[in-house]
Amino acid sequence: MNKTSNKRAVIVGLFIFIGLLFLIAGILIVGNLRNTFKDKMKVVSLFDDVNGLQKGNNIWFSGVKIGTVFNLQFYGESQVKVILNIETSAQQYIRKDSKVKITSDGIIGKKILVIYGGTSKSNEVQEGDTLEVEKSFTSEDMINTLQENNKNILAITTDFKVISKKLVAGEGTIGKFLNDNSVYSNINAATISLQNASEKAQKLIGSLAAFSEGLNKKGTLANELTTDTIIFNSIKTTVLQLQSIADTAAVFIANLKQTASNPNSPIGVLLHDKESGARLKETIKNLESSSKKLDEDLEAAQHNFLLRGYFKKKAKSSNADK
Amino acid sequence: MDKSRLQHIINTDESVISIKGLYKSFEDLEVLKGIDFNLFKGENIAVLGKSGTGKSVLIKIIVGLLKPDEGEVYVLGQQVDKLNRKELDALRLRIGFSFQHSALYDSMNVYQNLAFPLTMNIKNLSKKEVNNAVDEVLDAVGLMDKLNQMPSDLSGGQKKRIGIARTLILKPEIMLYDEPTSGLDPITSTEVIALINEVQQQYNTSSIIITHDLTCAKNTGNRIAMMLDGQFLRIGKFEEVFDSNDEEVKGFFNYNFIQ
Amino acid sequence: MINNNTKKYIFSRGIDDYFTGVHKAYKFTSLFFKEVIKKPFHIREVINQCFEIGIRALPLITLTGFIVGIVFTKQSRPSLEDFGATSWLPSLIGIAIVRALGPLVTALICAGKVGSSIGAELGSMKVTEQIDAMEVSAINPFKYLVVTRVLATSITIPILALYCSCVGLFGSYINVHTEETSSIISFYQDAFSTISFLDIFTGVVKSIAYGLTIGLVGCYKGYNATQGTRGVGKAANQAVVLSMFLIFIEEVIIVQVSNWIRYF
Repeated sequence: MNKTSNKRAVIVGLFIFIGLLFLIAGILIVGNLRNTFKDKMKVVSLFDDVNGLQKGNNIWFSGVKIGTVFNLQFYGESQVKVILNIETSAQQYIRKDSKVKITSDGIIGKKILVIYGGTSKSNEVQEGDTLEVEKSFTSEDMINTLQENNKNILAITTDFKVISKKLVAGEGTIGKFLNDNSVYSNINAATISLQNASEKAQKLIGSLAAFSEGLNKKGTLANELTTDTIIFNSIKTTVLQLQSIADTAAVFIANLKQTASNPNSPIGVLLHDKESGARLKETIKNLESSSKKLDEDLEAAQHNFLLRGYFKKKAKSSNADK
Repeated sequence: MDKSRLQHIINTDESVISIKGLYKSFEDLEVLKGIDFNLFKGENIAVLGKSGTGKSVLIKIIVGLLKPDEGEVYVLGQQVDKLNRKELDALRLRIGFSFQHSALYDSMNVYQNLAFPLTMNIKNLSKKEVNNAVDEVLDAVGLMDKLNQMPSDLSGGQKKRIGIARTLILKPEIMLYDEPTSGLDPITSTEVIALINEVQQQYNTSSIIITHDLTCAKNTGNRIAMMLDGQFLRIGKFEEVFDSNDEEVKGFFNYNFIQ
Repeated sequence: MINNNTKKYIFSRGIDDYFTGVHKAYKFTSLFFKEVIKKPFHIREVINQCFEIGIRALPLITLTGFIVGIVFTKQSRPSLEDFGATSWLPSLIGIAIVRALGPLVTALICAGKVGSSIGAELGSMKVTEQIDAMEVSAINPFKYLVVTRVLATSITIPILALYCSCVGLFGSYINVHTEETSSIISFYQDAFSTISFLDIFTGVVKSIAYGLTIGLVGCYKGYNATQGTRGVGKAANQAVVLSMFLIFIEEVIIVQVSNWIRYF
C-alpha cells in the first residue's frame, strides 16, 4: 500500500515537473514567436552595402515597425540580397516604386531598414517583389565630397587670383590682352567655372549648415564624431579650407574692383560683354552670400559643444601668441 | 495509591476505543504488527514497552495523526481513518492528547496556551468564560501562579502539567498520555502520576498511558499492556503481566527495578 | 505488509525522492489555495503576521533600498555623462527601481529575513510536535499557521516593495541633488514621468508572486521539517535558497509576460 502510493507520487511529481518545464519554456518562447502569428509577406531588396544590417532588424515605414529582416544573402558579384518580412497589413501602403534605405535607430541604436516614398501611380507591392535601394550617404562620404569640392574651388580661385593680378599689373600688356582672344575666352571660362564653383560652395555650405545642425541636435552623429577622430579632423581641415577659399575670393574681388576702376583695363571688355558681366555679378553675389553663410556656420560651429574644445584651444593659443 | 478508588468507575460493557488487527509501517520499518484491544469506559490502560517500539504510533493512529495501513480503529464508535476533516475535528474535541515534550506553543504564554484551543473551537465565548475555564484547569493541575509565564520559563514537570491542563480545557472523554513521566525526576514523576489519576477521577475519563516507566505504569494503569516487537505480548493487571517467566517481561522488569 | 526490503524505485532513490518532493509541494500549494477561500479566516492572525513580517524586514529594506538607490545612480552617472544626458538619470533610475530593483531587492531581503524565520518557526513547531498538538485540539494547523503566513507575506511584500522603491528613489535623489542640486519635486516629476500605471501594476503583481513564493516555500519547508533540531536549521536554510531560486525564475517569466502586455 505504502509502496504503490509512493510510486504514484513519484509519477505525479514527474508529470508536474515536466508540465512546469513546458509552461516556463512556452512562456519564454511564445513571446518571441508572437509575431509569427501575424500574416507576413516577403519582399526582396538588393544592396551594395548593408552597413552591418542583421537578421531580425526592424523595418520601418513612416516610422512604424512593419516587419523584420528575414535573411541576408550574397548576390551576384558583390551585392547583398536582403529578404524583408513585412506584415501584410502594411502592404496597401507600400508601392512598387517605394524605396528602401538603411539608417540607424538613435545614438547607439541598431540598424533599421526604412521603406519610404512610393506613389499611388504604382500598384501595391506583392510577395516576392524587389524594392529599389537608394544609396545612403554616410557622414564620411559627405565630408569626402566636400573636401574634393573645396580643392577644386581653391584651385579655381587661385587661378583667378593670378589672372586678376596680371590684369591689375598688366598695363603694358593691355593691347596684347585685348587682342588675345584666348585670354579673353580663358577669363570667360574661368568666370563660368567660378560661378559653378561658388554655386557648389553654396551647396556645400548648405550641407555644412545641415550637418552642423545635426551636430547640435542631441544624439545623432554626436557619438560618431566624438569617437571618430578621423572625421573630426576632416571637418577641421574642411573648415580651414573654406576659410582660405573665402580669403582668396576676397582678394579676387578686391583685385577686380581695382581693375574696374582702371578705364584702360580689359574689364571694360568684360563689362560691355553683357553676358559675362551678368555672370560675373552673379558669381560675386554667390560668393558673398556663401561667405556670409560660412561666417554663420563657423559661428555655430564655435558654439557646438563638440567643437567648443577645439576653438577654446585655438583662442588660448592665439592669446598666447599675443 | 488508593487503588480501590480507581476501580469503581470502570464499565467493562462499554468500550470507548476498540482496535482490531492494526498494522502500520514506515518505509521499510514495520512498527505495528497486529494490535487488538479494547479500552473500556473509565479505564486506564498503561502501554508499556521499550523506546522505539511504536507505542506513540499507536495513540497517534487513535487520534488520527497517522493513518493505519491495515486494521480497524474505532474511537467512541467512529472509525477514525474513514472520517472526513470535520468529523475528525469533532471527534478530536472529545480526546485529549498529552505530548511527550508537552508541545506548548512557545510563542504564547501559559494563559494563551490554555485559552487557545478553547477560543479556536468554541466561538463567541466571553472573556470571563475563558478566564473561568483557564482558572479551573490551572487549579486542577495546581499551577495557578504561572498564568503569565512563557513556556520557556517553566520546568519540565510544570510544562507537562500545563500540557495536560491544555487538553483538559476541552473536557475530553478520552485522555492519551505520551510518556508523561519521561525526563522527570522521581518526585515530579509521582506528582504527574497523581495528576493522571486525579484527572481520571475528576473528569471521568478513559485513558491510555504510553510509558516505559514501570512505576508509572503500575500506578496509573488499571490494566497494563506489555508491548514488544509491534504486538501486545500480554495485557492484564500488573500482577498478571509480570507474574511470568517470560524472558522479555523479566528483562523489562529488571531494567526498571534493579538498574 | 510482509517484509519488503527489496523496494523498487522507478528511477533511483534520489530522483524518486525529488519527484515525490515535487508532488508534495504541488499538493501543499493546491491545499493552500483550497484552504485560503474556506472559513474560518483567522483575520486577526493574518494581521498579526503582516505586522510581524513588516516590522522584521522594515529596517533592512529601508537601508538596502536607500543604498541601492544611491549606488545605482552613482554607477549610471558616468555612462550618461558621456552623452551629456545626466538629466535622464531620474527617469532611468525611476524605471529601473520601480520595475525591477524595488520588488526584487525586497523579495530577496524578505526571502532571507522572513522566509528563513518562517521556515525555522514552523520547523521548530513541527519537530516539537506543536503542529500535532494543534491538530489534535481540532485546530487546522495548516489554516492557522500556513494560510495566515502565506497571506501575510503576499500582502506585506508588495507594500514593502513599494516602500523600497520610494526609499530607493529617495536615495537616488540624494545623489542627484548633491551633483545637480535639483529639487525633490523636479526629481520626482522626472522620475514618474516615465513610470506608467502598468509599471506599478506589474511591480505589485510581481511582489505578490514573490510574497506567495516566500510564504509557501518557508511554510512548506518548515511544515515538512524532520530530524529534530537539525531539521529546523535545514528547513530555514532551504527555505531561503529555494525561494531565492524561484524568485529569479519568476522574475524572468513575469518580465516576459509583462512585456507582452506592454507591447500588445
